[in-house]
Amino acid sequence: MAVREVTIGSRVGLHARPAALFVQAATAAGVPVKISKGDKGPVDARSMLGVLGLGARNGDSVTLEVEGETADAVLDSLVALLEQDLDEPAAADA
Amino acid sequence: MPDRGGQPQRAASGVLSPEAVRLGCKATDKWDVVRQAGALLVEIGAVSPEYAEAMLERERSISTYVGEGVAIPHGTDDSRRYVTRTALGFLQLPDGVDWDGNDVRVAVAIASSGDEHVAVLSALAQILMEPEQAERLRTTTDVEDVLALLADISTEED
Repeated sequence: MAVREVTIGSRVGLHARPAALFVQAATAAGVPVKISKGDKGPVDARSMLGVLGLGARNGDSVTLEVEGETADAVLDSLVALLEQDLDEPAAADA
Repeated sequence: MPDRGGQPQRAASGVLSPEAVRLGCKATDKWDVVRQAGALLVEIGAVSPEYAEAMLERERSISTYVGEGVAIPHGTDDSRRYVTRTALGFLQLPDGVDWDGNDVRVAVAIASSGDEHVAVLSALAQILMEPEQAERLRTTTDVEDVLALLADISTEED
Protein backbone atom coordinates (compact mmCIF):
# COMPACT_ATOMS: atom_id res chain seq x y z
CA MET A 1 0.00 0.00 0.00
CA ALA A 2 1.23 3.49 -0.87
CA VAL A 3 0.24 6.54 1.18
CA ARG A 4 0.51 10.23 0.39
CA GLU A 5 -0.69 13.46 1.90
CA VAL A 6 -2.06 16.28 -0.24
CA THR A 7 -3.47 19.77 0.33
CA ILE A 8 -6.84 20.56 -1.26
CA GLY A 9 -6.31 23.10 -4.03
CA SER A 10 -9.93 23.76 -4.98
CA ARG A 11 -10.77 27.29 -3.91
CA VAL A 12 -13.83 26.23 -1.92
CA GLY A 13 -13.08 22.63 -1.10
CA LEU A 14 -13.95 19.05 -1.93
CA HIS A 15 -17.65 19.83 -2.27
CA ALA A 16 -20.05 18.77 -4.98
CA ARG A 17 -18.30 19.09 -8.34
CA PRO A 18 -14.67 18.78 -7.20
CA ALA A 19 -15.71 15.73 -5.16
CA ALA A 20 -17.51 14.20 -8.16
CA LEU A 21 -14.44 14.70 -10.39
CA PHE A 22 -12.21 13.13 -7.75
CA VAL A 23 -14.58 10.17 -7.23
CA GLN A 24 -14.68 9.62 -11.02
CA ALA A 25 -10.88 9.57 -11.16
CA ALA A 26 -10.58 7.27 -8.14
CA THR A 27 -13.12 4.88 -9.68
CA ALA A 28 -11.30 4.94 -13.03
CA ALA A 29 -8.05 3.97 -11.26
CA GLY A 30 -9.43 0.43 -10.98
CA VAL A 31 -7.71 -0.26 -7.63
CA PRO A 32 -8.89 0.38 -4.06
CA VAL A 33 -8.33 4.00 -3.02
CA LYS A 34 -9.03 5.40 0.43
CA ILE A 35 -9.09 8.98 1.61
CA SER A 36 -9.09 10.45 5.12
CA LYS A 37 -8.95 13.87 6.72
CA GLY A 38 -7.57 13.98 10.24
CA ASP A 39 -9.66 11.59 12.35
CA LYS A 40 -12.38 11.37 9.67
CA GLY A 41 -12.15 8.25 7.57
CA PRO A 42 -10.50 6.58 5.88
CA VAL A 43 -13.43 6.20 3.50
CA ASP A 44 -13.68 4.60 0.06
CA ALA A 45 -12.61 7.31 -2.39
CA ARG A 46 -15.02 5.82 -4.94
CA SER A 47 -17.97 6.74 -2.69
CA MET A 48 -19.35 10.22 -3.28
CA LEU A 49 -21.04 10.17 0.14
CA GLY A 50 -17.82 9.11 1.84
CA VAL A 51 -15.81 11.86 0.17
CA LEU A 52 -18.46 14.56 0.79
CA GLY A 53 -18.72 13.42 4.41
CA LEU A 54 -15.10 14.46 5.03
CA GLY A 55 -16.05 18.10 4.48
CA ALA A 56 -12.55 18.92 3.17
CA ARG A 57 -12.04 22.63 2.51
CA ASN A 58 -9.43 24.57 0.60
CA GLY A 59 -6.08 24.23 2.36
CA ASP A 60 -7.10 21.13 4.33
CA SER A 61 -4.70 18.23 4.25
CA VAL A 62 -6.04 14.80 3.25
CA THR A 63 -4.33 11.42 3.12
CA LEU A 64 -4.67 9.03 0.19
CA GLU A 65 -4.02 5.28 0.49
CA VAL A 66 -3.80 3.17 -2.65
CA GLU A 67 -3.44 -0.60 -3.03
CA GLY A 68 -1.97 -2.57 -5.87
CA GLU A 69 1.03 -2.56 -8.22
CA THR A 70 -0.03 0.66 -9.92
CA ALA A 71 -0.37 2.48 -6.57
CA ASP A 72 2.38 5.02 -7.18
CA ALA A 73 1.13 6.03 -10.62
CA VAL A 74 -2.46 6.24 -9.33
CA LEU A 75 -1.30 8.40 -6.42
CA ASP A 76 0.60 10.70 -8.79
CA SER A 77 -2.52 11.43 -10.82
CA LEU A 78 -4.92 11.70 -7.85
CA VAL A 79 -2.57 13.99 -5.94
CA ALA A 80 -2.19 16.19 -9.03
CA LEU A 81 -6.00 16.32 -9.36
CA LEU A 82 -6.57 17.30 -5.72
CA GLU A 83 -3.87 19.99 -5.89
CA GLN A 84 -5.71 21.64 -8.79
CA ASP A 85 -8.44 24.20 -8.37
CA LEU A 86 -11.34 22.04 -9.51
CA ASP A 87 -13.68 24.95 -8.80
CA GLU A 88 -12.04 26.71 -11.73
CA PRO A 89 -14.44 26.17 -14.68
CA ALA A 90 -11.58 25.23 -17.05
CA ALA A 91 -10.75 22.24 -14.84
CA ALA A 92 -14.16 20.75 -15.56
CA ASP A 93 -12.72 19.32 -18.78
CA ALA A 94 -10.41 17.08 -16.73
CA MET B 1 -49.71 27.14 6.63
CA PRO B 2 -50.19 28.13 10.28
CA ASP B 3 -49.22 31.69 11.11
CA ARG B 4 -45.99 31.58 13.05
CA GLY B 5 -45.94 35.30 13.65
CA GLY B 6 -42.56 35.66 12.00
CA GLN B 7 -40.88 33.45 14.58
CA PRO B 8 -38.81 30.69 13.00
CA GLN B 9 -40.30 27.43 14.23
CA ARG B 10 -37.07 25.52 13.96
CA ALA B 11 -34.23 27.89 14.57
CA ALA B 12 -31.87 25.01 15.35
CA SER B 13 -31.58 23.80 11.79
CA GLY B 14 -32.00 27.06 9.96
CA VAL B 15 -31.30 25.69 6.51
CA LEU B 16 -34.36 23.43 6.15
CA SER B 17 -37.79 24.86 6.95
CA PRO B 18 -41.04 22.84 7.01
CA GLU B 19 -42.40 24.60 3.91
CA ALA B 20 -39.31 23.48 1.97
CA VAL B 21 -40.13 19.78 2.48
CA ARG B 22 -42.26 18.25 -0.29
CA LEU B 23 -43.22 14.60 0.01
CA GLY B 24 -44.88 12.42 -2.62
CA CYS B 25 -43.70 14.48 -5.62
CA LYS B 26 -43.99 13.25 -9.20
CA ALA B 27 -41.62 14.04 -12.05
CA THR B 28 -41.19 12.92 -15.66
CA ASP B 29 -37.39 12.87 -15.68
CA LYS B 30 -34.35 14.28 -13.90
CA TRP B 31 -34.61 17.62 -15.69
CA ASP B 32 -38.16 17.94 -14.40
CA VAL B 33 -36.84 17.26 -10.88
CA VAL B 34 -34.13 19.91 -11.24
CA ARG B 35 -36.76 22.40 -12.46
CA GLN B 36 -39.05 21.59 -9.52
CA ALA B 37 -36.10 21.86 -7.13
CA GLY B 38 -35.24 25.29 -8.54
CA ALA B 39 -38.86 26.45 -8.36
CA LEU B 40 -39.01 25.33 -4.72
CA LEU B 41 -35.92 27.40 -3.80
CA VAL B 42 -37.44 30.40 -5.60
CA GLU B 43 -40.76 29.87 -3.84
CA ILE B 44 -39.23 29.86 -0.35
CA GLY B 45 -37.35 33.06 -1.18
CA ALA B 46 -33.84 31.56 -1.03
CA VAL B 47 -32.86 32.33 -4.64
CA SER B 48 -33.94 34.33 -7.68
CA PRO B 49 -35.03 32.54 -10.89
CA GLU B 50 -31.55 32.94 -12.46
CA TYR B 51 -30.25 30.45 -9.88
CA ALA B 52 -32.86 27.88 -10.91
CA GLU B 53 -31.63 28.23 -14.53
CA ALA B 54 -28.04 27.72 -13.37
CA MET B 55 -29.08 24.48 -11.60
CA LEU B 56 -29.91 22.99 -15.01
CA GLU B 57 -26.56 24.15 -16.37
CA ARG B 58 -24.74 22.66 -13.41
CA GLU B 59 -26.52 19.32 -13.84
CA ARG B 60 -25.49 19.21 -17.51
CA SER B 61 -21.80 19.63 -16.58
CA ILE B 62 -21.70 16.71 -14.12
CA SER B 63 -24.39 14.63 -12.41
CA THR B 64 -25.31 15.62 -8.86
CA TYR B 65 -26.23 12.04 -7.90
CA VAL B 66 -24.47 11.20 -4.62
CA GLY B 67 -25.70 7.70 -3.73
CA GLU B 68 -28.48 6.10 -1.62
CA GLY B 69 -31.09 7.24 -4.16
CA VAL B 70 -30.29 10.90 -3.51
CA ALA B 71 -29.29 13.73 -5.85
CA ILE B 72 -28.27 17.24 -4.76
CA PRO B 73 -29.17 19.71 -7.52
CA HIS B 74 -27.54 23.13 -7.05
CA GLY B 75 -26.31 26.09 -9.09
CA THR B 76 -22.95 27.00 -10.62
CA ASP B 77 -20.29 28.99 -8.75
CA ASP B 78 -21.12 31.93 -10.95
CA SER B 79 -24.80 31.84 -9.92
CA ARG B 80 -24.12 32.22 -6.20
CA ARG B 81 -24.86 35.94 -6.48
CA TYR B 82 -28.51 34.99 -7.04
CA VAL B 83 -28.71 33.33 -3.62
CA THR B 84 -30.50 35.39 -0.97
CA ARG B 85 -29.93 32.98 1.90
CA THR B 86 -28.43 29.54 2.40
CA ALA B 87 -31.26 27.02 2.37
CA LEU B 88 -32.19 23.47 1.46
CA GLY B 89 -35.24 22.14 -0.36
CA PHE B 90 -36.35 18.52 0.00
CA LEU B 91 -38.26 16.74 -2.77
CA GLN B 92 -39.26 13.13 -2.26
CA LEU B 93 -40.06 11.07 -5.36
CA PRO B 94 -41.71 7.82 -4.24
CA ASP B 95 -41.98 6.48 -7.83
CA GLY B 96 -38.31 7.08 -8.50
CA VAL B 97 -36.70 8.96 -11.39
CA ASP B 98 -33.92 7.68 -13.62
CA TRP B 99 -30.82 9.78 -12.96
CA ASP B 100 -28.07 8.66 -15.33
CA GLY B 101 -28.89 5.04 -14.58
CA ASN B 102 -29.49 5.58 -10.85
CA ASP B 103 -32.92 5.40 -9.24
CA VAL B 104 -33.44 8.71 -7.44
CA ARG B 105 -36.06 8.93 -4.68
CA VAL B 106 -34.92 12.13 -3.00
CA ALA B 107 -33.59 15.42 -4.39
CA VAL B 108 -32.04 17.84 -1.92
CA ALA B 109 -31.88 21.27 -3.58
CA ILE B 110 -29.04 23.42 -2.26
CA ALA B 111 -28.79 27.21 -2.25
CA SER B 112 -25.50 28.52 -0.90
CA SER B 113 -24.00 31.95 -1.30
CA GLY B 114 -20.57 31.22 0.12
CA ASP B 115 -18.59 28.16 1.14
CA GLU B 116 -21.01 27.03 3.89
CA HIS B 117 -22.31 24.28 1.62
CA VAL B 118 -19.11 22.31 2.29
CA ALA B 119 -20.36 21.87 5.88
CA VAL B 120 -23.95 21.33 4.68
CA LEU B 121 -22.89 18.62 2.20
CA SER B 122 -20.65 16.95 4.75
CA ALA B 123 -23.48 16.75 7.30
CA LEU B 124 -25.95 15.50 4.68
CA ALA B 125 -23.50 12.84 3.46
CA GLN B 126 -22.93 11.59 6.99
CA ILE B 127 -26.69 11.24 7.52
CA LEU B 128 -27.10 9.35 4.23
CA MET B 129 -24.26 6.95 5.09
CA GLU B 130 -26.56 5.42 7.72
CA PRO B 131 -28.72 3.13 5.55
CA GLU B 132 -31.78 3.24 7.88
CA GLN B 133 -31.79 7.03 7.86
CA ALA B 134 -31.47 7.15 4.08
CA GLU B 135 -34.32 4.64 3.79
CA ARG B 136 -36.60 6.76 6.00
CA LEU B 137 -35.89 9.87 3.96
CA ARG B 138 -36.84 7.97 0.80
CA THR B 139 -40.05 6.50 2.18
CA THR B 140 -41.49 8.55 5.06
CA THR B 141 -44.89 10.18 4.69
CA ASP B 142 -44.32 12.57 7.60
CA VAL B 143 -42.65 15.95 7.08
CA GLU B 144 -41.60 15.94 10.76
CA ASP B 145 -39.52 12.81 10.08
CA VAL B 146 -37.55 14.64 7.42
CA LEU B 147 -37.04 17.68 9.64
CA ALA B 148 -35.88 15.49 12.51
CA LEU B 149 -33.49 13.45 10.33
CA LEU B 150 -31.95 16.54 8.76
CA ALA B 151 -32.00 18.66 11.93
CA ASP B 152 -28.23 18.30 12.39
CA ILE B 153 -27.48 20.04 9.13
CA SER B 154 -26.25 23.54 9.71
CA THR B 155 -23.76 25.86 8.11
CA GLU B 156 -21.37 25.33 11.01
CA GLU B 157 -18.52 22.83 11.06
CA ASP B 158 -19.28 19.80 13.21
